[in-house]
Amino acid sequence: MAFNYENYLRLEKVPTLWCWGCGDGVILKAFIRAVDKLGLNKDDVCVVSGIGCSGRFSSYIDFNTVHTTHGRTVAFATGIKLANPDKHVICVAGDGDALAIGGNHTIHGCRRNIDITMIVINNFIYGLTNSQTSPTTPQGMWTVSQKAGNIDPTFNATNLAIAAGASFVARESMIDPKKLEKIFVKAIEHKGFAFLDVLSNCHINLGRKNKMASAMENLAWIDNITVSKKKYDAMSEEERKNLLPTGILKEDTEAKEYCDMYAEIIKVHQGKRKILTQDDFEKKI
Amino acid sequence: MGTFKTENPGNQPVWVNTNNCKACDICVSVCPAGVLGMVYEPTSTLGAMISVQHPESCIGCMECELSCPDFAIFVAEKKEYKFAKLTDDSKERQIAIVANNYMSLEQKGAK
Repeated sequence: MAFNYENYLRLEKVPTLWCWGCGDGVILKAFIRAVDKLGLNKDDVCVVSGIGCSGRFSSYIDFNTVHTTHGRTVAFATGIKLANPDKHVICVAGDGDALAIGGNHTIHGCRRNIDITMIVINNFIYGLTNSQTSPTTPQGMWTVSQKAGNIDPTFNATNLAIAAGASFVARESMIDPKKLEKIFVKAIEHKGFAFLDVLSNCHINLGRKNKMASAMENLAWIDNITVSKKKYDAMSEEERKNLLPTGILKEDTEAKEYCDMYAEIIKVHQGKRKILTQDDFEKKI
Repeated sequence: MGTFKTENPGNQPVWVNTNNCKACDICVSVCPAGVLGMVYEPTSTLGAMISVQHPESCIGCMECELSCPDFAIFVAEKKEYKFAKLTDDSKERQIAIVANNYMSLEQKGAK
């Protein structure tokens, strides 16, 4: 008997629509295992996904799921979390979804430090719409919208989240699913906004024109541009160029959480507003 | 409707579900012991299909199951099956399989 994924999947939707070797499947698997490890009830978890390849995440997984509009995952999730503070709300967004069209929502989710786990599946390209430049596409890479090589400077998603005030920020790649599972467990357990930048492969839309046409070549490239945080801290400024640190980059357990503050506000205002009865109305008339 | 085979088909260390496999080669590339290999399969979209070639060498590291994006490969639990130790033979076979374009060594030639 192997691990039973059947409990957590909508079996009528499997096999998945993702390309062969897509990292999204590995991340989905790691996420299922993390939820199983935490022993969460399926009804206590809500997965909110946006548009893009990562948006399919909510279709396959058998929790409470919302497939929302492009880039608005955090906005929907904030509403769900405020209405159900005891539930676990998880956002899944792609790099274009979370950092381009939904960048505004992402930074304000980080700023409020509301108890949401945000998983950004970063595959360095707009995969679903066939290879347009995304905010994280490395400079010089071929994309369908910049055929002579991308000239746009690259976004560092974790630095943005740290600066915006998220209390848990981490980066991990799908090369090591065991580490990924551990970081999911920590992020879901963390109280406050947990921002995860999960590097993934898209050998179909990014790789084929950039000399990494198979999943293994693309993963080898991701392995080359990532380095553990410990090593990264010991490096000089020169060596750090074009490298991304992996691991937990920020963990602040002291920061105040938005739902708790909101509960205090509710307490202050509760009972203060006078509810008019039938007699009050009659007196007024 | 997807089908799953989480039950062990009969004292196996690792088994596959060919209905879900898309032949991406990732499981073959992460195996340290040369257990897996692709075989030709004309009905598959990419012309290949996963197969378990040397189950006796499996060390139960779970890398293939965890790295599979399509829920197509399963590894037995540690208490359920007595796994082998990693040997030089199996390491060499793994290197040869990767050099053979992830195809099983019985299947010569490119995909």
